[in-house]
Amino acid sequence: MTRKEYTFDAGYQPQVRAKRGTSNIMLDVIIALIPAICVGVWQFGFKALIPVCTSVLSCVFFEWAYRKLLHKHATIGDLSAVVTGLLLAMTLPANAPFWLPIIGALFAIVFVKQLYGGIGTNFLNPALAGRAFLFASYAMLMTQWTTPNGLKGSVDAITMATPLSSMKAGVALPEYFTVADMFIGRMPGCFGEISAAALLLGGIYLICRKVITWHIPVAFIGTVAVLSLIFGGGSEYSHVDWMVYNLLSGGLMLGAIFMATDYSTSPTGFNARLIYGAGCGILTVVIRRFGGYPEGVSFAILIMNCCAWFLDQLTQRRQFGVSREDVKAKKAAAKAAKKEAKEAAAQ
Amino acid sequence: MPFKYHGGVHPNYMKAPDVPVISITPPPQVVVPMAQHIGAPCKPIVAVGDYVTMGQKIGDNPAPVSAPIHSPVSGKVIAIEPRPHPLGDNIPAVVIENDYQDTPCTDLAPLTEAELQDQEAILTRIREAGIVGMGGAMFPTAFKIRGGLGKVDTLIINGAECEPYLNGDHWTMRLHPEELLKGIQLARIASGLDKAYYGIEKNKQDAIDLLNSKNPAQYGVEIVPEEVKYPQGGEKLQIKAITNREVKPGGLPAGVGCNVISTQTAYAIYRACYEGVPCYQRTLTMGGSALGKSVNATVRVGTPIRYMVEQVGGFVKEPRKIVLGGPMMGLICSNIDAVNIKGTAGLLFFTEEEDRNVENPTCIHCGQCLQVCPMKLEPVYMYKYFQKRDFEKMQKYHILDCIECGCCSYNCPGRLPLTHTFKTAKLLFAARAAEEKARAEAAAKEAEAKKEAEAK
Repeated sequence: MTRKEYTFDAGYQPQVRAKRGTSNIMLDVIIALIPAICVGVWQFGFKALIPVCTSVLSCVFFEWAYRKLLHKHATIGDLSAVVTGLLLAMTLPANAPFWLPIIGALFAIVFVKQLYGGIGTNFLNPALAGRAFLFASYAMLMTQWTTPNGLKGSVDAITMATPLSSMKAGVALPEYFTVADMFIGRMPGCFGEISAAALLLGGIYLICRKVITWHIPVAFIGTVAVLSLIFGGGSEYSHVDWMVYNLLSGGLMLGAIFMATDYSTSPTGFNARLIYGAGCGILTVVIRRFGGYPEGVSFAILIMNCCAWFLDQLTQRRQFGVSREDVKAKKAAAKAAKKEAKEAAAQ
Repeated sequence: MPFKYHGGVHPNYMKAPDVPVISITPPPQVVVPMAQHIGAPCKPIVAVGDYVTMGQKIGDNPAPVSAPIHSPVSGKVIAIEPRPHPLGDNIPAVVIENDYQDTPCTDLAPLTEAELQDQEAILTRIREAGIVGMGGAMFPTAFKIRGGLGKVDTLIINGAECEPYLNGDHWTMRLHPEELLKGIQLARIASGLDKAYYGIEKNKQDAIDLLNSKNPAQYGVEIVPEEVKYPQGGEKLQIKAITNREVKPGGLPAGVGCNVISTQTAYAIYRACYEGVPCYQRTLTMGGSALGKSVNATVRVGTPIRYMVEQVGGFVKEPRKIVLGGPMMGLICSNIDAVNIKGTAGLLFFTEEEDRNVENPTCIHCGQCLQVCPMKLEPVYMYKYFQKRDFEKMQKYHILDCIECGCCSYNCPGRLPLTHTFKTAKLLFAARAAEEKARAEAAAKEAEAKKEAEAK
């Protein structure tokens, strides 16, 4: 009887792995964006899908082409380029020309993401950086807001001002804006940002699926709520109105739920995430209330992106088995040692 | 009510708790490796040609951290030579030709009523019966209990069996509830304590009910049903769940007054004391896609893996990996001719089906590893600093306090080899420490030589 010989692979511990990979997570994000996209189509018509399609296609193309040209392994299968494309399109006005997102995608994918090593290593949110690039280059195109279908009956204009720009200008909101309208998305704005309801739905889905944690969105939105209540108001608005309009209009929900929670550009620790979210909130209110632009979410997030690594380093958590007292004792001991060394040096 | 701790994962359990336990007939030749525990390996005390009985001591070492080894069958010793050990390398082993008589050895008599209450008698018996931690660590149990005397105020029996696939402990609880409780009582008496806690995951509700129906209080045992979560059976987490005490980084369970022993160890203690049977048999689970089914089996120590597979029907697919123990913490065995030992809780035969590793693992910085790490470490940064070989920063992120449970790797969507990396890092740290020590010694020697030269 011959003994069958077997050859075995080297194995990494653990020998089993969870089903969920990067592409599954990205797919979850895409699913979470669907309600907001639907509201966008409902309000701006199917025409608004054109920039969405060009944005996604060009992001995927640039990612594929860059990796191909530099002989790196292909990464379009992880779907992160699709997410970037969708998010970029969400931040553009609905009537953006089809070529606009292509330029944004080029900047986002090649300059912001791939030149820094691709997924996981970029330090700025690619979609937001792409938007900021377009905002700086095509300011006119980026600030023309189509009148949504839901408001067509009440106004004649094809384009109109967003609630935030009205607030910035210090003029009262037109009376046809109700809070309920703003909540479901009947107002002018970027394609994907108008409906707080749809975005919150997506956010709840992401939290339930454990794709994101609650820390960043809650800290972000909470800080904006508190600060705009304190610093808001004016001749035309009460403090509470100012806070509600601030929460529901502009890119806050999109930014807090989908942009600020971007993995590579946000901290990993819970405490760091809370600080990061609060920082985004503070900067948003500062820009909106005291800065030169009516909207500040994207710049707030981009600024905080730069602090993410630092925040993580700053807030290393207590490991298992170390109590608060242990940390205090250690700090005190270090302090005493320092003092002693100083005294020794003085002598 | 058990206490909660951070992290943990819920792997696909793949358990087949209702597959009845079969007893695998001992092979024609058993190969008993002389290292089946942590500590000093045993030296054979029999010679080629000797006739040994079942349960006769065939290897021993007087060192304190050691456990004797007994023959699992009766028969003739035909060789004493290096044979493949499941954990790698060839290690001296006693090869015994089975005469299928199973003539029992009478060296160890059952303890008398008085001895069953005597701490010293029980401890001596635990040592003589060669009992080691049968959850997989294989730490000599007698040394563990002795080391904790005076320090330990809580004895914990680990019945979590949180690893996927494994059912050996579950079946031990079902088949021998009273014996198990008596074994725990003995371990408790040996530790000089009035009470022991038996932590069992709630997915073994039938076993919990059965044990509770045997009035565990009369044995001084309290059953604690625990949340189903991996790594509930990790020593530090078992202690946390039951006592709310946290073992300090780098510390031992005895440092917080706890000792943890596993279910099958307690059962082995019962067998050794009440029946005079040493530790040469255990219940384990065989499974994995290469086997195509799950088998719960009682197997003698020293049975070749190849023989066991043949006994349960052979492979349905070509195996790519043999895993000793559970899939989360289990080690790889690269030789199918190796044998099972006292600490083998499972034998899993995996194909590509279980393998989800990818060619280009990529960190997406999602922070999932932080959310599942029960030690509250930050694996993502430990990994990043390991890649830069930044030892100072690795230490800052407590890479040495990783318990290697595998949660971070399990959950990593980018499929990074996190746990594997940390194990490698620990080896590097050990090598560096040894190097530094050698350097310091050399420097000390040089200084001494200089001094001497000056003195002359």
